[in-house]
Amino acid sequence: MRYVLTRLAALAPILFGISLISFLLVHLVPGDPIVAMIGLEATDEAIDALRAKYGLDRPLWEQYTTWIGSVLQGDLGRSIQTGRPVAGMLLEALGPTIQLAVSAMAIALLIAIPAGVISAVRKNSVLDFGASFVALCGLSIPSFWLGVMLILTFSITLPIFPSSGRVPFFEDPFGNLATLALPAVTLGASLAAATMRMTRSAMLEVLSQDYVRTAWSKGLSPWRVIMHHGFRTALMPVVTLLGIQMGQVLGGVVITETVFSWPGIGKLTVDAIFARDYPIVQGAVLLTATIFVLINLATDLVYALLDPRVRSA
Amino acid sequence: MSVVPSTVLPSTGVAARTRRFAWLRATLFADPRATIGFLILMLVAGTALFGPVLHPYDPTKPDFLNALSPPSTEHWFGTDDLGRDILARVIAGAQVSLFVGLISVGGSATVGTTIGVLAGFYRGWVDAVLMRCMDVLFAFPPVLLALGITAALGPSLTNAMIAISIVYLPVFARLSRGQTLVARELAFVEADRAMGFSDVAIMVRAIAPTIAPPLLVQASLLFADAIITESYLSFLGLGIQPPQPSWGAMLKNAIGFLTLAPWMAWFPGLAIFVAVLGLNLVGDGLRDRFDPRTRLREGG
Repeated sequence: MRYVLTRLAALAPILFGISLISFLLVHLVPGDPIVAMIGLEATDEAIDALRAKYGLDRPLWEQYTTWIGSVLQGDLGRSIQTGRPVAGMLLEALGPTIQLAVSAMAIALLIAIPAGVISAVRKNSVLDFGASFVALCGLSIPSFWLGVMLILTFSITLPIFPSSGRVPFFEDPFGNLATLALPAVTLGASLAAATMRMTRSAMLEVLSQDYVRTAWSKGLSPWRVIMHHGFRTALMPVVTLLGIQMGQVLGGVVITETVFSWPGIGKLTVDAIFARDYPIVQGAVLLTATIFVLINLATDLVYALLDPRVRSA
Repeated sequence: MSVVPSTVLPSTGVAARTRRFAWLRATLFADPRATIGFLILMLVAGTALFGPVLHPYDPTKPDFLNALSPPSTEHWFGTDDLGRDILARVIAGAQVSLFVGLISVGGSATVGTTIGVLAGFYRGWVDAVLMRCMDVLFAFPPVLLALGITAALGPSLTNAMIAISIVYLPVFARLSRGQTLVARELAFVEADRAMGFSDVAIMVRAIAPTIAPPLLVQASLLFADAIITESYLSFLGLGIQPPQPSWGAMLKNAIGFLTLAPWMAWFPGLAIFVAVLGLNLVGDGLRDRFDPRTRLREGG
């Protein structure tokens, strides 16, 4: 319990820092955002009026306190392009992003955990070398290239899956899964590679421990030794890695969603950057970083739950 | 982003001071993965350096009569939508990638290590303030932070490099802080202090060389990451600006011609893959050498 409280207390300065950076990112933009918005031909009076409307004529710290005040009430401002509330647009985009991230994670775990365990148990076998080599390749392939190659193979040469867009799940579940397939594999590949390597090395470490040797010598079945004594302990570093990997996923969705025109947070952010729709960029960066921090916190807490040593430390 | 555990301090004491880089040579040729990776890197670096001499095509000169022609004996990798030779552009892209990797990781390592050494050496409030700032940077998903910074500074190769450097700062700061905390208690550092050397002299002459090996391993791992991140930014249009070629920008361009000219997409991606694979192989070899647990387990 004390551990939970300490961790929660440490959260406050981090969240403050995140909000400060998200705020400053937009205010560091070279050039006048108002001129960028309404064009160079605007009269000085029009510019001043707009500047007053958006509060840009006040000192920076005052703008920040006003902004963070409304953020805390769930108001992230309005999109410059569409005039719609940013919070609503982000919320709308969050669903597809979560679906993509969770599917990628599921694909990664389904492949990586068995592959890592088998690799470790059959260390230095052909199977191990093969799996380790594939994992290393998976880590080295840039995800957008993998995405493009998948489109070339499975949308153009063999037209099985659509190359872009998303069909909402409740409209057409099968159509939804068809649009999900390629982006999820693209995002899941590097994740699977990293998880497989971590599972393998954690298993190797655990399997060389004395208590595992004791378990073997007691004549327990291989399944019981490997899964019960080995795998459960080896899971710990893998859980930590998954938390860190969520950062990769939240960054990776930006690329994957752009390649496949998947209507999530990542695509929204990139489109907003090119449209100079700064309230959206600000809101998306703030939201994504906050989610990332909360996931990391959750990972640490799960870790503490699994390992009593951390709690007392 | 691969991170070296901050507790690893390979060889401490006087030995580390005298034979500074012998370990690096030993590792590159002892571990087969590292050797293969090193050879791949030499190939990529050689391509970047000598490619323009061996393959004298202008990577930015359009040749509309030969636009979108498939790989042939004249254009090994084919040509793009403006008839530019793709091999020449891949070679020019290698120069960009290696340059970006070197500058951004080098810059990040220099600034990040300075922050980490200051924090670890002085501890107290210096440590608290510097490391809390690093924690905040670390709280952003790396690609997103790079994206946000480039968007704020404006799209250009220089700004992409600045963004990538900032993203890796906390990695170097945390690692070097941990190492410094250990190093400052070593006998020869205390001896330097007893002899009345200034703080700066101790940090530069005693601590920096001692903590260098794990930082170099970290740098080699992040080099691969930096190349990928640059290609992401260029792919999104936030990095290098046309007509200058970069692997990521070439892929962005290729998207519009996937059915007509798939070779436009094959080669730049393959180039990123090969370069990153080489770096990862070297990084793996170095890391295993450094993690004492792996060394015990593998019996090497």
